[in-house]
Amino acid sequence: MQEKPLSDNKLSRRTLVAIALIVLVIPATILFGVFFLGDRRYYFISLLIIFYTMLPFIMVFEKRKPQARELIVIAVLAAIAVAGRAAFFMLPQFKPVVAIVIIAGLCFGAEAGFLVGAVTGFVSNFFFGQGPWTPWQMFCFGIIGFLAGILFKKGVLQKEKLPLCIFGGLATFFVYGGIIDLGSVLMFTPKFSWQALMATYISGFWFNIVHAAATVFFLLVISQPMIEKLDRIKIKYGLIER
Amino acid sequence: MMKDAFSTFHPIVNFTYFAAVLLFSMFFMHPVFLGISLLCSFCYSVVLKGKKAVRFNLLYLLPLLLFMAVLNPAFNHAGVTILFYLKNGNPITMESILYGLATACMFVAIICWFSCYNVVMTSDKFIYLFGKIIPGLSLILSMVLRFVPRYKAQIKVISNAQKCIGRDVSNGNILERAKNGITILSIMTTWALENAIETADSMKSRGYGLPGRTSFSIFRLDNRDKAVFVSMLGLIAIVLAGAAVGQNSMRFFPSLKLPSLTALSMGVYLAYLALCLIPVIIDTVEENKWKHM
Repeated sequence: MQEKPLSDNKLSRRTLVAIALIVLVIPATILFGVFFLGDRRYYFISLLIIFYTMLPFIMVFEKRKPQARELIVIAVLAAIAVAGRAAFFMLPQFKPVVAIVIIAGLCFGAEAGFLVGAVTGFVSNFFFGQGPWTPWQMFCFGIIGFLAGILFKKGVLQKEKLPLCIFGGLATFFVYGGIIDLGSVLMFTPKFSWQALMATYISGFWFNIVHAAATVFFLLVISQPMIEKLDRIKIKYGLIER
Repeated sequence: MMKDAFSTFHPIVNFTYFAAVLLFSMFFMHPVFLGISLLCSFCYSVVLKGKKAVRFNLLYLLPLLLFMAVLNPAFNHAGVTILFYLKNGNPITMESILYGLATACMFVAIICWFSCYNVVMTSDKFIYLFGKIIPGLSLILSMVLRFVPRYKAQIKVISNAQKCIGRDVSNGNILERAKNGITILSIMTTWALENAIETADSMKSRGYGLPGRTSFSIFRLDNRDKAVFVSMLGLIAIVLAGAAVGQNSMRFFPSLKLPSLTALSMGVYLAYLALCLIPVIIDTVEENKWKHM
């Protein structure tokens, strides 16, 4: 079953295809929006970009007919993240989701990281309520898992506490906070303006700090045992590294 | 409270309805359309959830609406009708106030529609609809939805076992309790992973992924569903035709300009009203049917 050695640090063709699609499709969508969508262009361009970015992952994943073991590992990790989000419902922003998504990306690759993140965003909103924010959360969680996977494969990120915590904190604050706040500006205000974005970033600053701190905290506490468990499962059952 | 009759329709009918009203509400910046959307979503949420919805709508959505209506003129200074100047010299225009009000209505209507969506489009319906397009992912979705309550139950089992040896979260001082809690979660995670692999192997040995396998579903598209579905598509077509000839939106900047009221635009408004009211109509008809039997 083991197709490649674990220490292979070349990006797979699938990853490159996904990146190319992202790079090509986004400008096309923006042009379409600017010329055809008129008044609602900001919100719709942004939503379409979010969908387009997630599409290649989903298509590639479905096309290669994933094995039952692979499906279920992703499902377990997503379920743990969802349960984690639900367990800390009384503490706003203090959630372990990003930490678990990063660990998933680290141990099972960029694609699995993305899927765990996106599925967690989607399913947890069955418990917390779906809304126009769902695609944004799916995308943000997903892309952080994806980044973690890629950076690990490229050797930038190691399975050690310090680099993980630094990456987790920065990713939560800038990637998650940055994109979610941008999303809420596009949702709440009809015309995009830099002042509105700045105002949102300033008012969301403490929320994002708390969220980043939560990620660092959870990575500090659970990253090593969690990685150990996942690696053990991988070795014990010979799961394929993709 | 009676059960919502619209929820008993085929998932494709439910999903098409919500996709249509959500997209139309997001797209059409026209006072009549926004009014219809806001009113119908309010009505339907009350039909679905009764008093709770009234309270939620008035307590949360109304303040949100007002807040957002105020937010826009603070950042947006376009428009020709200047009402007054702020202290920092920025003008407040009538156009930006009205535009803010319109977007606020739109946003609140969308939230309200989504609150109805959450009740009607349960996860099993979603998975049924998308199971054919994204089989892998929808299997993951249904597994995650199952795992969450299952893990909750398993945590209780583990915690009871730990209690027997004095290592539960209710034993010892606060530090020991936290430590015990982490141990329980750790046991839980290992169990979840091992159990998952077993489930996967069991799935494989029962032939998961082999060709020719069908999946069980309890949904059936009968005449009632077809009738509602076709009339819904007809109404959607009328609304889209209205959009194509520019009836469904208005200009806000630089100055306000509404499309003129004609027989055609009246028809489009009525079609949109009928579309949005479909579930409420179905529920009312159903209730009367039971009353007069």
